[in-house]
Amino acid sequence: MIWRTTRLILVNEFRLLLHDRAALFMMFLAPVVIIAVAGFSLGNLYGVRPDRGGYVVALLDQDHGVVARTVRDALSRAPSIRVRVVSSLAQARQLIINDDRAPLALVIPAGTSAAFAAGGKPAIELYVDPLKRLQAAEIQAQLVQIGRHLQIAAQARAQHQLDLQSTALRAHLEQLAAGARTASSQADAYVRELKAAQKQARSRAQNAIRRRLSALRSRTQAAIDRSVAETKTALAAELGARQGAIAALTQYLRALQRSQAEFQSWLDRLKQLAGAHADQIPPPPTWPTAPTAAQLAILSAPIKITAATPVLPPIDDSFNLPAMPIKLPPPTQTPALSDLVPTVTTLPGTVGWNTRSLVPGRPQVNSFDQYVPGFGITFLLIDMLWGVGVGLIDEREWGTLQRLRAGGAPVPGLMLGKLSARLLIGTFQMVVLFGVGWLLFGISLGPAPAMLLVPAAAIAFAAGSFGLLIACVARTRDAVLPVGSVVAMAMSAIGGCWWPLGFEPAWMRAVAMWMPTTWTMRAFNDLMIRGLPPSSALIPGVFTFALGLGYLIIGLIGTVRFYD
Amino acid sequence: MVQVTGLGKSFGARRVLDQVSFSVQPGELVGLLGPNGAGKTTTLSILATVLAPDEGTVRIAGFDLARERTAIRARLGLVPQSLALYPSLTALENLVLFARLRGANAHQARRLCAEALDEVGLADHAQRTVGLLSGGMKRRLNLACALVHQPQVLLLDEPTVGVDPQSRERILNTVKELGHSGTAVLYCTHYMDEVERVCNRVVLIDHGRVVAAGTVAELVGLAGGRPRIELYFQTPPPSRWYLELSRVSELTPSPSPNHTVLEFDSLTRVHELLRRAQAAGSVLEFSVHSPNLSDAFMALTGHRLRDEHESG
Repeated sequence: MIWRTTRLILVNEFRLLLHDRAALFMMFLAPVVIIAVAGFSLGNLYGVRPDRGGYVVALLDQDHGVVARTVRDALSRAPSIRVRVVSSLAQARQLIINDDRAPLALVIPAGTSAAFAAGGKPAIELYVDPLKRLQAAEIQAQLVQIGRHLQIAAQARAQHQLDLQSTALRAHLEQLAAGARTASSQADAYVRELKAAQKQARSRAQNAIRRRLSALRSRTQAAIDRSVAETKTALAAELGARQGAIAALTQYLRALQRSQAEFQSWLDRLKQLAGAHADQIPPPPTWPTAPTAAQLAILSAPIKITAATPVLPPIDDSFNLPAMPIKLPPPTQTPALSDLVPTVTTLPGTVGWNTRSLVPGRPQVNSFDQYVPGFGITFLLIDMLWGVGVGLIDEREWGTLQRLRAGGAPVPGLMLGKLSARLLIGTFQMVVLFGVGWLLFGISLGPAPAMLLVPAAAIAFAAGSFGLLIACVARTRDAVLPVGSVVAMAMSAIGGCWWPLGFEPAWMRAVAMWMPTTWTMRAFNDLMIRGLPPSSALIPGVFTFALGLGYLIIGLIGTVRFYD
Repeated sequence: MVQVTGLGKSFGARRVLDQVSFSVQPGELVGLLGPNGAGKTTTLSILATVLAPDEGTVRIAGFDLARERTAIRARLGLVPQSLALYPSLTALENLVLFARLRGANAHQARRLCAEALDEVGLADHAQRTVGLLSGGMKRRLNLACALVHQPQVLLLDEPTVGVDPQSRERILNTVKELGHSGTAVLYCTHYMDEVERVCNRVVLIDHGRVVAAGTVAELVGLAGGRPRIELYFQTPPPSRWYLELSRVSELTPSPSPNHTVLEFDSLTRVHELLRRAQAAGSVLEFSVHSPNLSDAFMALTGHRLRDEHESG
C-alpha cells in the first residue's frame, strides 16, 4: 500500500504542479528574472561585466603625453570600461552626474609624462562620485593595474637604455684598463731603473765622502798638534815670568811673618812696662794670617802642562745615503673590470602579480556562475516551502489529507510520494535553470555537466525535507510562509548563495557548515567555477544529503505528530 | 454494520468522548447530532480510522478498528466537513486519484468515477477544474469522492453546508438512495430538518456522551415537548381567560397584552382552544407549533451557547 500511495501521490504532485501556474512561475521564470537582475547588476563584483555597456570613465587629458596615451589605451581595452574624453572638469562633472554608469573622472595633469620620464612621481587625479563609490573602487583597482603596467613598461625601457650604456661603459673601461696595464708595466721598468741608479749613486757618494773625511782628519790632527805645541811654549813663558813675582811676594810675606813676631814681643814688653795701666792699652790690630810656606811654595812651583793629542772621532764611512726624496709609488694594480663597472646595472623591479587560476577553471568568473546556482537554490528552497510545507498544510485544511488517510494512504507513503515528486521536480528545476543559464548567460557547466545532477538532487532532497520540517515547526499557512521564507533566505545568504562565503565573518561561516546550501554551493562552485573533477562534488553532496536526512527525520516525526 | 461500544477519547486533560456507544445497521441512516464541541467530529474521525480511540471498541463491517484498519478503510467512505478536494485539479482527476488509492486500476477507476459523477449530477462537469465549480457542485463532488469506491459504510460530516437548495436536495436524495441500497450511513449535521427527512434514527451526544438515541419521535417524546398555540387578539383579552381549560398553561409571559402563547397536551384540542379564544376576544392571527427534533435538541442539550470548537 505504501508504494502504491507513494506512486499515486508522486504522480498527483506533478499533476498539481502542472495546474499551478503560480508555482510554475515561481519555479522557472522568477528565478531566471532574479538571476538576470542579480547577474547584470552585481556582475562587476566578479570582475567581468556580462553586458557590453560597462562603466563610463571621463578622461581629461591635460598631458598629451605617453602616460595619457597609455592610460587611455589601457582603459579602452578593459572590457568593462568605456572612455569618454572630456575637455574640462566641469564637463566631466556633468557627465558623471547625469550618467549612472559613470562613477569617476580621470584627470592627467600637464607634465605628467615628462615628470614620469624624469623619474618623478606624478599623480593622476581621480574625481569620484561618492554615490558610486563601489563602482569607482572597481575602476580604481583596474587603474592600479594600468599604473603598474605603465611603470613596468617605463622600467623596461630604462633598463634597456641602462643595458646599452653599461655595455658601452664596459667597453670603454676595458680600453682604459688595457692602457692602465701598459702604463703600469712602464712604471715598473722605470722604478727598476731608478733603483739601480740610486744604488750606484749611493756607492759613489760614499767613496767620495770617505776620501774627503780621511784628508780632513789628517789636516785636523796636524793643526791640533801644532796648536798644542804653541800653547805649551806660551804657557812656559808666562809661568816663568810669574814665578819671579811670586818669589818676591814670598820673601815679603816671610818678612811680614817676622815683623809680626817682633811686634808681639814689643807689645808684651809694652804691657809690662805699662803695669797697672796695661789693661788700658787697646789691643793692637790683628795681623792677617800669612800663607804657609808650603802654600807659597806652590805658587812658585813651575807649571807642568802636557799637551795631549786630541782624539778625533772616527769617521763612519758606512752611512747610507738618504732615500731619494721623490719616491715613486708602487705600481698601481689594475682593478678588475667588474670593480670598475657599477655592480648595480639594473633598476629595482616592481612587485606585481599575475592572476592565474589555481585550479583548472577560468580565473575570470562569470557572475552568473555564482548567481544561477545561488538563486536557483534560493528559489528551490522557497518552492519546496510552498510545495511541501504549504502544500501539506493546505491538504490538512482542505481535508484531502484526512480523506487520503481515511482512504488507506499511510502518512509515510504520502510523505514519501510528496518528497519523491518534489525531489524530481526540484532536480528538474535546477536542470532547467542551468540550461537557461548556459544558453542565455554563458555559464560554465564544468568538465562534467552531468555531475551537476548530484548536488542538484541532494539540495532538492534537502529542500523538500526543509519544507516538511518548516510545516511541522510553523503548522499554519500564515506562519509557514514568513517563518519559512526568512529561514530559507537566511540559509541562502549564509550558505553563500548570494555572495561568496568568504565575505562572511568566521562565526557565520561556522554556522554555514550546518546548512545544506553551503555544501551545495561548494559543489557547484567546485564543478562550475573551479573546474574540479567530478569527484569533488561527492563529499559536499553527501553532506547536503545528510543534513537533508536530518531534516527529513525530524520532519517525519513532526508530521506523524501533527498531521497524522 | 457499525458497532461502537464504550468509545472514549481525551486530548490532554480534556475528555472529548466518554463511553459513547451506538450502532448503525446496513441500510440504516443514523443522524449524529450534538452542539459544537459535543464530540461529533472526533467520533467520525475515529470511525474514519484517522484518529485512534483511547478506549472502547469499534467494529465496522465486522472488522475491528484497532486491528483491521485496512479492511475497514476499503469499506468506508468519508465526506469530511471541509471540501476535501484538490482545487487545481479537475473533478475527474480528483475522483480518479481517490479511486486509484482505493485500489482500482485505471480502467476500473474511469468506470467508477463516471458512475459517481453521474450519481451526484456532475457528469457534464468532469473536466472542469474544481476551483471553478460552484459551492453546491463542490459539495456534490465531495460526496462523489466518498462514493467512488462504493463503500458499505458512509460517514458524512455536514455535507450540505453552504449549498444551494437544489444541490442540497440532490445530496439528500443521493444519501437516501444509498440507504435504500443497503449502505450504512452515519450523518452528522446541525440541520435538524435534514435529519428528520433522511435519518431513521438519531444519536444525540453532548459533552462527549450520548444523551439520547432513538427515532426522531422517540427523541421528541423523550424531551417532553408539547404543542404550542400562539394567538394575536385585536384587543387585550380578559386576564387568564384560558384557566377553565384543563392541561393548558401559558408558556411565557406575553410581551404584549394582545399576544398569548399557550402550551397544551394534544393537537386534537386545537379546535377547542380556538373556540375559547374567540369567546375571549377577537382573534386576528394564530399559529400552531408541533414539537420537533429541534425542540428536542434544545431541550436535551440546553440553551447555553456553545462557542468552543471540537478538537480532532
